Amino acid sequence: MKKNGVKMIKINSKNVDVFYGKKQALFNINLDIEENQVTALIGPSGCGKSTFLRCLNRMNDVIDICRVKGQIIINDFDINDKSCDVVRLREKIGMVFQKPNPFPKTIYENISYGPTIHGMAQSKNEMDEIVENSLKKAALWEEVKDRLHEPGTGLSGGQQQRLCIARAISVKPEVILMDEPCSALDPIATAQIEELIDELKKDHTIIIVTHSMAQAARVSQNTGFFHLGELIEHGSTDKIFKNPENKRTQDYITGRFG
Amino acid sequence: MNKNKEKLLNSRYRAEKRFQFYGKSAIFLALLFLTIFIFKIFSTGYTAFQKTWLIVPVTFDAETMYLDENPSKEDLEDADYFDLALQTMFNLDKSASEKQQNDLKRMVSYFFEREIKRELLNDPSLIGKTKDVYLTASDDLDQVFKGNYPRDLPEDQRRVTDYQLKIFDQLVEQGRIESKFNLSFFTYPDSREAELAGIASSFMGSIFSILVCLVIAFPVAVLAAIYLEEFAPKNRFTDFIEVNINNLAAVPSIVFGLLGLGILLAVFQLPRSTPLVGGITLSLMTLPTIIIACRASLKAVPPSIREAALAMGASKMQTTMHHTVPLSMPGTLSGTIIGLAQALGETAPLILIGMVAFVNTIPGSPLDPAASLPVQIYIWAESAERGFVEKVSACIMVLLGFLIIMNLFAQIIRHKFEKKWS
Amino acid sequence: MVEAPHTVKSYEEELKNLNSNIIKMGGFCEESLGKAIQAITTRNSDNAEAVIKDDEKIDKFETLIEQQVVNLIALRQPMAIDLRETVTALKISSDLERIGDLAKNISKRTLLLNENLPKNLTEALVRVSSNVQKQLKSILDAYLDRSSAMAINVWEGDEQIDDLTNLCMQEVIKYLKENEKNLDDGTHLLFVTKNIERIGDHTTNVAEQVYYLVTGEYLEGDRPKGTEPIVTGEK
Ligand SMILES: Nc1ncnc2c1ncn2[C@@H]1O[C@H](COP(=O)(O)OP(=O)(O)OP(=O)(O)O)[C@@H](O)[C@H]1O
Ligand SMILES: [Mg+2]
Repeated sequence: MKKNGVKMIKINSKNVDVFYGKKQALFNINLDIEENQVTALIGPSGCGKSTFLRCLNRMNDVIDICRVKGQIIINDFDINDKSCDVVRLREKIGMVFQKPNPFPKTIYENISYGPTIHGMAQSKNEMDEIVENSLKKAALWEEVKDRLHEPGTGLSGGQQQRLCIARAISVKPEVILMDEPCSALDPIATAQIEELIDELKKDHTIIIVTHSMAQAARVSQNTGFFHLGELIEHGSTDKIFKNPENKRTQDYITGRFG
Repeated sequence: MNKNKEKLLNSRYRAEKRFQFYGKSAIFLALLFLTIFIFKIFSTGYTAFQKTWLIVPVTFDAETMYLDENPSKEDLEDADYFDLALQTMFNLDKSASEKQQNDLKRMVSYFFEREIKRELLNDPSLIGKTKDVYLTASDDLDQVFKGNYPRDLPEDQRRVTDYQLKIFDQLVEQGRIESKFNLSFFTYPDSREAELAGIASSFMGSIFSILVCLVIAFPVAVLAAIYLEEFAPKNRFTDFIEVNINNLAAVPSIVFGLLGLGILLAVFQLPRSTPLVGGITLSLMTLPTIIIACRASLKAVPPSIREAALAMGASKMQTTMHHTVPLSMPGTLSGTIIGLAQALGETAPLILIGMVAFVNTIPGSPLDPAASLPVQIYIWAESAERGFVEKVSACIMVLLGFLIIMNLFAQIIRHKFEKKWS
Repeated sequence: MVEAPHTVKSYEEELKNLNSNIIKMGGFCEESLGKAIQAITTRNSDNAEAVIKDDEKIDKFETLIEQQVVNLIALRQPMAIDLRETVTALKISSDLERIGDLAKNISKRTLLLNENLPKNLTEALVRVSSNVQKQLKSILDAYLDRSSAMAINVWEGDEQIDDLTNLCMQEVIKYLKENEKNLDDGTHLLFVTKNIERIGDHTTNVAEQVYYLVTGEYLEGDRPKGTEPIVTGEK
């Protein structure tokens, strides 16, 4: 989104290095993410896309051997700073994973979990409203409104993934991170999610990792290409897909990697 | 070339058939042993659930009981029934010699006095009247009636005299011998006399031990497992602890018995022979089993669930308590039940801490002396008397039944919860 | 610029095939144009008839290339350089097809021309047509070599063609004015000249496509123009 004609930067990563034990997985990543836009991260397997994505909500903390260096600035605040509260951060930055991973609880509980632990609803009514709105935003409401108290794991793969998206947006995050959200879905479910992403970008900044060039081209406004832990090229999606600057980017998106 | 392939293919099929045959034979063999074992237990044990009674007419003569006219309830309680009881038995053969009278007396259990007393207390109006009373047959006659006792041995090699057999046969003819369900096997405590021995004290002892074991081992083990699996840093020290927990599971149970003896009894001076001490000792043994089961089921919780919770902004503690632990509970519970079932069958450590003592009272709390089922089996198996042989088998049947029910329960828990969410 | 081969060999094959079809088609166009021009200057009707027949071949090439492009887009979803390759192939082939048509048209008119044309006129005609021929050859070379510099050269060369066309037009008009009997031939010659110029324009289109293909950017600015074309002959 442009304000006074200037692109608003939501996330600004500066010189980010990530190490798994002695092995360096990311090298000096400098990437700006624009607000209310979809940014796609592409690159061959093992190039560090997920690693970078997990830096943004500090999910790498969970991995013992993982160390992150450098600054990641969100809302003028370095999230790698000691004073950053991870729980608050993750409330602001939601995540959707590659494999749909609903909690083995009811559909309702899946959505209400986040608002409950963050104390976002004062009454049952308020909670019902949050659940309904989240499901509506995730384009799942019509399909599940009569079975809110059935297990979320009983839904189809595409529905489960939309449930996970609904769960992520239930706490009104500013940023949504998606790690290959459609890799297990059929084209129809994929299209539904892509449509959803398009809708969501009005209120959220979205970063999506995908292996499908076509998907990156379809949903994103900006694209970053990673290779061997480096950010090779970053720019507007149509530029990257029509006429990338870097030879490696071109080789990758045209399928010339040997 | 093609022929070779054909040959190879055929030999592969044959190899598979052979392997299947070996597998089936192994299963057959295992089933065979199991069937033999169960058949043996049942065939020797089922008679223990029957008890032989002598139906003897008792004349409740006030004089023989040294009672006044219109005795009060207390008087009846305090009265001396022994002479009455003796007289009743002697009446079976009025012409018996003194030695034969002794034989007559020994045809019933020493409980006969109490059985007659109970009859009268139930109905005080019987005084002066005559009534048929059921008296427990002595274990030897019991065995004779059940056919477990060879009658054709020379008299000096049997415990039943010819005279007793003669009277017994007369009674059988008159229809005064009856076999009924042996309720006292379940309600009586242990006894030196086989016909009176029951499993009530050891059964309760086992229950109390298991409860104590559960109350101690479950929370400790679950907390330890959760900490180790979810919170502890992965370093040499925690690796070391992990290895040792696994080692602990392999320690022979008698070592735990020694530990109980040396620490619980000697240092803490806890009461000997009690389910409390037994339970604590067993809990030491069960602890690693539950820890391992709990850790395994925590490990089995998909990491994606943890990630989902963490990514929603749940703290580590919330993630563990809201998601991981509930999901691991079915596995933990069934592991616990299996651990308890193991503890239930344990004999050695209980013998060491004195639960092998002869206990003829039914324990009312974990602080009363008690035996336990496997120890009871051990005690009875040691006894020479013929009447205990079937009791051993019967007790094994009860123990097996108990174990089967527990394992079934574990299975049900696992299935029920696993079905629900997958 | 030489690209590394694709991981998917059949995709690589298809792109190569497309490329070589363009080059073959270009080759035919070049040949047709050469023959057509020879036919005017040497009055050789065999050549002219050959051009008319060859146009069918060129048309077939266009259909073939179009099918290949559609297949590539539908089945391979080309990206970046491959995408530009496919899209420009489509456009270049349609330009080449037009060039073929125009050459055919020139040849048809040549068959109807009188034997003797003034020397000035033929010379002017030869000047412009050999220039166009050169342009076509060098743009096909540029396409083959993926050379943006050569493409710019060709693109800029259009200016000269326009000028030469104007001169040629003047000669034709002069010829027309000379004698009323020249009206038939003159009209044909006007169209021939115009067609040659159009071929030049199509060549310039191809140059733009080649430039886009190589650089991913569009040639900015107005297409170079010479002095205003004199169609009416008035100045
Ligand atoms: N938990 C981990 N421990 C050690 N190394 C890891 C770990 N996770 C990732 N790596 C390494 O870091 C590098 C980047 O991994 P990452 O998962 O970010 O790749 P990716 O781009 O997401 O790949 P994919 O497209 O296959 O998901 C890889 O070389 C990988 O081996
Ligand atoms: Mg990944």
